[in-house]
Amino acid sequence: MFRKVLVANRGEIAVRVVRALREMGIASIATYSDADRGALAVQLADEAAYLGPSPSSESYLRIDRVIDSAKRHGAEAIHPGYGFLSENAEFAEACAAAGIVFIGPPAEAIRKLGSKTAARQLAIAAGAPVVPGTESALAGWEQGSAAANALGYPVLLKASAGGGGKGMRRVDRESELQSALRDAASEAGRAFGNSEVYVEKLVVEPRHIEIQILGDHHGNLIHMGERECSIQRRHQKVIEECPSPFMASHPDLRERMGQAAVKVARAAGYTNAGTVEFLVDREANFYFLEVNTRLQVEHPVTELATGIDLVEWQLKIAAGERLTLRQEDVTWRGSAIECRIYAEDPDHDFMPAPGRIVHLSEPSGPGIRLDSGIFQGWNVPLEYDPLLAKLAAWGPTRETAIRRLDRALAEYVLTGVRNNIGFFREVLADAEFREGRLSTSFLERFFETRKKAELDPEAAAAAALVLALESKGSGRPLLINVSRWLDSGREKLFR
Amino acid sequence: MKRHVMVNGRSATIEIEGSRLRYVREDGVQIEREFSREGTSVLLNGHSYRVSQGAGSEIWVNGRLLSMEVFDPRDLRPGQGAAANHGRQEIAASMPGKVIRVLVAAGDTVEEGQGLVVVEAMKMQNEMKSPKSGRVAEVRARPDATVGAGEILVVVE
Repeated sequence: MFRKVLVANRGEIAVRVVRALREMGIASIATYSDADRGALAVQLADEAAYLGPSPSSESYLRIDRVIDSAKRHGAEAIHPGYGFLSENAEFAEACAAAGIVFIGPPAEAIRKLGSKTAARQLAIAAGAPVVPGTESALAGWEQGSAAANALGYPVLLKASAGGGGKGMRRVDRESELQSALRDAASEAGRAFGNSEVYVEKLVVEPRHIEIQILGDHHGNLIHMGERECSIQRRHQKVIEECPSPFMASHPDLRERMGQAAVKVARAAGYTNAGTVEFLVDREANFYFLEVNTRLQVEHPVTELATGIDLVEWQLKIAAGERLTLRQEDVTWRGSAIECRIYAEDPDHDFMPAPGRIVHLSEPSGPGIRLDSGIFQGWNVPLEYDPLLAKLAAWGPTRETAIRRLDRALAEYVLTGVRNNIGFFREVLADAEFREGRLSTSFLERFFETRKKAELDPEAAAAAALVLALESKGSGRPLLINVSRWLDSGREKLFR
Repeated sequence: MKRHVMVNGRSATIEIEGSRLRYVREDGVQIEREFSREGTSVLLNGHSYRVSQGAGSEIWVNGRLLSMEVFDPRDLRPGQGAAANHGRQEIAASMPGKVIRVLVAAGDTVEEGQGLVVVEAMKMQNEMKSPKSGRVAEVRARPDATVGAGEILVVVE
């Protein structure tokens, strides 16, 4: 096993990996940019290496600086987390060239699966069902228009190098195609340095269900069941669960999807942890979407339901150990649900809300797992993705898991930066959500009928009491709302 | 002690005497309670509330985030509060970010809801829309420029 590992990431996932390293008795090296000097991962790790200025293009995305830091600190391996360099084949090769183990799949597998169009072709060859669409990137507007007409609207534009909803656009009619193509290509270019876009038929109101896979360097490859991630906003997952509530009425679906995922992974020569994403329609037909060649943000729900530590296995596999788990050893117990706590404002179109955390009191108690990268006083930087933490609950049934999650959300005090904690409580209270009737359009519909809860006058009185007592005798407003004009402008703009 | 309160843009008054409080909302809803307060804990007739301060005028109470200001009535002058939004409208960046695209030029006629400027922050692109139909009087946003919260990007009249 390794003696020292560098974590080439930030935020909650860096903390997650540092924790696994500590548990396994491996020394950890955190990495940081200027904005992240005081980050939680830096505080928890054994060592920390400076990468550069705050923009990720000058720090977390700099292959040369990451490799150099690993060498200077004597790391034998690098864990890339998710995002940043985690799905970068060049980085995996640079690690190998420097004699450092990249904790993830081989560069060749990343390359085969990294382009969505190439991954589609590979899935077709491996016999996995795919959504109809163009097999390669669009050369221009005329080709896009012809392809979309042949498929029939609505269609979905996607970035070839994409992930996380960046560079993705739904197009309902031809008149919207041109501007959608331009926006998708521009966003893809900024996010991935590659503005190639392709087009797919849109599966209406699908569920997003993905399969976790795990393979070693000795030919063993298994799946660890599904995660349902249908609750998405702008193609960004916000709530994930294992098992999918859809499996209760379709008992053979997990095994069929699991086998399809394993076939695709095998065809790509995949090792280490990865995720094969599918869309599932109402008739339980499933379509291959893409492979995420890394650890997923939402991996904790699989860990809670199976009791298997994915990060520990990633490290063992990368160190050459044999996967001792057989397919029949993987069992699922109870139900796990996770919500992604973001620094964004649900009342203003989920605008990102960087700033300083004024007060933080984190939930705990039975069945609760919190993967967080923040602390009271931490300044949430504006340069990065606004994910603050992931709150997950486990229960013997889905109903219990939901109740526990709601209880934990109610305990969660996080002020100073606007966040979606209160919004999750509204979603968990929704009747369709409780019944497990999920689809990727769930949130869109939810917003159409969303009513803001009436403000309880007693709660308002309690707050007013504290403010009045604190401001006693000052004769001036205790708190000056410097941005009231701005708030009212905002409300109008984003209504 | 009597104080005026603005809660999410609506006014109320709170009177505190000894361990009793009276809270009256502008719509006439009023409550009277026996209270006890210790730090972030407030008990109103034995019902428990957790109150915590946020950024600026934000205050968190039992999972709800309120925008709240408290004024001494002796200090309050008439005519305060949000100005009526007619005529000239300044469209400002609501958070720090980077201007990606400017979609209009001075002199353009715009419809209500039409996109004016695309601003990127935390890897998300957001289109700032016109709050009204009218004419673009001024474009201050420049592509690739970094903007601060509250910085005016476009003026529509």
